[in-house]
Amino acid sequence: MGSQFGDWPSFNPHNFSQLRPSDPLIPSELTAATYHPTHDRTSAPPDQVIATEATNILLRKFYQHAEDKFRPKRSASENLTPGHGRKQPRGSPKDAIS
Amino acid sequence: MSSWNYAVTAHKPTNVTHSCVGNFTSPHELNLIIAKCTRIEIHLLTPQGLQAMVDVPIYGRIATVELFRPYGEAQDFLFIATERYKFCVLQWDAETSDLITRAMGDVSDRIGRPTDNGQIGIIDPDCRLIGLHLYDGLFKVIPFDNRGQLKEAFNIRLEELQVLDIKFLYGCSKPTIVVLYQDSKDARHVKTYEVALKEKDFVEGPWSQNNLDNGAGLIIPVPMPLGGVIIIGEETIVYCSATAFKAIPTRPSITRAYGRVDADGSRYLLSDHAGLLHLLVITHEKERVTGLKIELLGETSIASTISYLDNAFVFVGSNYGDSQLIKLNLQPDAKGSYVEVLERYVNLGPIVDFCVVDLERQGQGQVVTCSGAYKDGSLRIVRNGIGINEQASVELQGIKGMWSLRSSTDDLYDTFLVVSFISETRILAMNSDDELEETEIEGFDSQVQTLFCHDAVHNQLLQVTASSVRLVNSTSRDLCHDWKAPSGFSVNVATANATQVLLATGGGHLVYLDIGDGVLTEVKHAQLEYEVSCLDINPIGENSNSSQLAAVGMWTDMSVRIFSLPGLDLITKEHLGGEVIPRSVLLCAFEGVSYLLCALGDGHLFNFLLNLSTGELSDRKKVSLGTQPITLRTFSSKNTTHVFAASDRPTVIYSSNKKLLYSNVNLKEVSHMCPFNSAAFPDSLAIAKEDELTIGTIDDIQKLHIRTIPLGEQPRRIAHQEQSRTFAICCMKYGQSSTEESEMHFVRLLDDQTFEFISTYPLDTYEYGCSILSCTFADDSNSYYCLGTAYVLQEESEPSKGRILVFAVEDGKLQLIAEKETKGAVYSLNAFNGKLLAAINQKMQLYKWMLRDDGSRELQSECGHHGHIIALYVQTRGDFIVVGDLMKSINLLIYKHEEGAIEERARDHNANWMTAVEILDDDVYLGAENNFNIFTVRKNSEGATDEERGRLEVVGEYHLGEFINRFRHGSLVMRLPDSDVGQIPTVIYGTVNGVIGVIASLPHEQYLFLEKLQSNLVKVIKGVGV
Repeated sequence: MGSQFGDWPSFNPHNFSQLRPSDPLIPSELTAATYHPTHDRTSAPPDQVIATEATNILLRKFYQHAEDKFRPKRSASENLTPGHGRKQPRGSPKDAIS
Repeated sequence: MSSWNYAVTAHKPTNVTHSCVGNFTSPHELNLIIAKCTRIEIHLLTPQGLQAMVDVPIYGRIATVELFRPYGEAQDFLFIATERYKFCVLQWDAETSDLITRAMGDVSDRIGRPTDNGQIGIIDPDCRLIGLHLYDGLFKVIPFDNRGQLKEAFNIRLEELQVLDIKFLYGCSKPTIVVLYQDSKDARHVKTYEVALKEKDFVEGPWSQNNLDNGAGLIIPVPMPLGGVIIIGEETIVYCSATAFKAIPTRPSITRAYGRVDADGSRYLLSDHAGLLHLLVITHEKERVTGLKIELLGETSIASTISYLDNAFVFVGSNYGDSQLIKLNLQPDAKGSYVEVLERYVNLGPIVDFCVVDLERQGQGQVVTCSGAYKDGSLRIVRNGIGINEQASVELQGIKGMWSLRSSTDDLYDTFLVVSFISETRILAMNSDDELEETEIEGFDSQVQTLFCHDAVHNQLLQVTASSVRLVNSTSRDLCHDWKAPSGFSVNVATANATQVLLATGGGHLVYLDIGDGVLTEVKHAQLEYEVSCLDINPIGENSNSSQLAAVGMWTDMSVRIFSLPGLDLITKEHLGGEVIPRSVLLCAFEGVSYLLCALGDGHLFNFLLNLSTGELSDRKKVSLGTQPITLRTFSSKNTTHVFAASDRPTVIYSSNKKLLYSNVNLKEVSHMCPFNSAAFPDSLAIAKEDELTIGTIDDIQKLHIRTIPLGEQPRRIAHQEQSRTFAICCMKYGQSSTEESEMHFVRLLDDQTFEFISTYPLDTYEYGCSILSCTFADDSNSYYCLGTAYVLQEESEPSKGRILVFAVEDGKLQLIAEKETKGAVYSLNAFNGKLLAAINQKMQLYKWMLRDDGSRELQSECGHHGHIIALYVQTRGDFIVVGDLMKSINLLIYKHEEGAIEERARDHNANWMTAVEILDDDVYLGAENNFNIFTVRKNSEGATDEERGRLEVVGEYHLGEFINRFRHGSLVMRLPDSDVGQIPTVIYGTVNGVIGVIASLPHEQYLFLEKLQSNLVKVIKGVGV
């Protein structure tokens, strides 16, 4: 049974090597300086301010359905292997990213 | 009018809700990230242990925290989502040590039912998307593009409505979630879904598993190569994957937290509701799972989060007790535990109740909280003061005085510590190993008690004993010159500075000496009418080496006098009044203002403004610091001079805005103190206690100090009784018999000095203590503890029966004096016009304290008032009663003496679910509600119509972000009658997350000023992730 209690992972063998244990009966306080950011990078870049798409799930379903209907070539892509199909860009590469 | 209120935190949240470990601040540094409700703390793992880096306030209550490594990045990013549906992704910029917001957003939906089981936020292990479960029936996806940038979020319909947990599976070619849910028949199952990002929909996943443990509540995803998940139930643990299913039974327990140990996911730490830490091992042959094994490691605080750190060290974060740093040992200790607790990090949360007391009767409040839950319950005594951090200490008994000396006049540091005893003097010095060892100064007389020591000009040291004043060369340590007391007289008290000596011998002789290069010159002698009790010539004028004034305290006429130097002419005489002699005088200057401090033998302290040029005293003030004689000494900390008043209640006197302030020191009885600024212990103090000499450094002025009284059970209500000097608490103790969990409730009586249990009264089975009060009744001089209870039965939605018990404390025991059955839970008790006011379910009920014919007492119902959903929180003032209702905000009732009736006077018509109420003044009432807001309402006495007068107008609203359980009037700082601070009414609050805060009712101008300051601060200091 002893074996599984040993061999604890070590990322840096020095970590905690010089720890001086305090009296465990006296709680210590891990107090750090409070962070007061004054720089201007506290806000995300404009393209990384994320919101949820406005389309309702049901409407999205309808639109997708409608799109599928008016896309006669869709059956061709379905014949491809799933892995391959996933990488097939539908629109221009730019559309796929944005 | 208390309409202008200022809310401020005195003690930040300490309740740890989340933690994670990763390379956040640098690719090569390992960090522990801890979430404490509204704050994120970043720590660094170092050889010395955890090192706190920054504490980051977040504008919101943190719901989820995850570290993740976006594709192509060298270090981890931090994802944080808040309860109000905001999220952000933070990155550490190591160059500037700044947190940068990489992405943020609002993920709320206009329609949706918030999940009952809390929010879930997870990140795909291959970083393809962030998954959020915020509303029932919806799974929100925030996809990453191939450059690691986030894209617009979308919702997917999730068929399972009662979701218990969702996790991402490892090693799937398409992002796949595992959902643990409960069906309409209360059976629990897991199901997997692939997230089709293009189609924005789920696709049935590779496997599912039906009919799990009824208590299954936690999924642990297992990394590759094993893959699959572990599902933790209350009686079984199972491993599930597409190809394997293994189950093991466990002892019944509720697992609340887990932490992965190995990167390959073969071992996990699990913590249950009793704080037992287990190791779960997946046994496997190559990549095939063969079984599960679980082993008990030991006991910790009840964990809310577990993070394996490094080299067998583990962080255990707790909601219910102190968080801990533990080490997993290879061998069990004597008790069979593999867990060694190395550090405890203080946590006051959840503060369920508290009281403000002045145990030392110093005019300074201390908060005593009912903290923690279950086995981690405790009382915490929180007081404001100055801390001494002990650096070294030795056992030394009978210290009569201490002085530090330098080895040469221009030395920066002190070398010697002269310690005087009743019949000898010992000299300690720092040796080359930075240890204090005994040494000798040959020119000093070490066979007698030393009355005073000081560094003198020209590299000299000075010692005053009962018989002589000795001047010693500090280099050779030999005697240069001495002055002998006239025969038949002995020196009683003495003082000196670098160039002057003033001493008094018996018979009221005052002698002034000048210190020259190797010579002492008697300059002046004066005969006073009484004996001298204390002296001081601390130079506070322009010349830092000599003083033009001397302060002298006298026996017999109990006066303090100012003499000129060198002439010894009397300038001022101030009679102190009373019969206590001055024991210590001190001339001192703070912020350019000169003072004379004069301490008496009974712990009182006078302070006077001192005019340095004329020697006049003015603006006399008196405060009480303790009960024993005080010795005053100056010391400096961070280049500022403070005064240490050593006594049974050691106090530091300092100045802020040219006002003298007094602050407690976290030490019991100190007999002497002297500054000891050595190279090894810079800016330190030497402190003599009863039988110990301590060297310590002084904390920054003003800090909260917390003392813990572990109870091993959960305290729920507390009251203090001045007359019996006791606390009474309502407690709940969990017992676990072999088959069932049992719960027992008690009233316990504690000594208010030792905090030991001195008496216990067990309540009935199913009976809960709901409220406790110390009060007196009309026509009865005794103090009583009144307890309100409820019988909590499973078949009742609201308790229909309760009791009011009235106890007296007799011979340290709780004696039941009277008992009254009620028709519901007694949620609140208040002393009201010499009677007892009880809130019983939806009703307010007033009881009279009646004397029966046989001399015994009973509670007799006088009148009542219906009209609440549930009257939970009640405060009274005069004839007014303020009621905090379960869901109908604040009501104001009035008791009409003539009619003997309680009537509603006004109400706030908003639907607030109250958590606490307090009365700020006659017209303004304070409330806290369960959306973490506080608000004030005002009684409208001038309204033209009944309708207007019957409405409580909301005058203040504030989103605090904390769940307040109790308000109490009081203050954490010492209130002196002469200070402005003493005039500002304050209310203290305690919260679930362990916050202690203050609400101060300010004058309007001051409020406007602070509001302006706040709005300007906001322009400069920005929030993180907003």
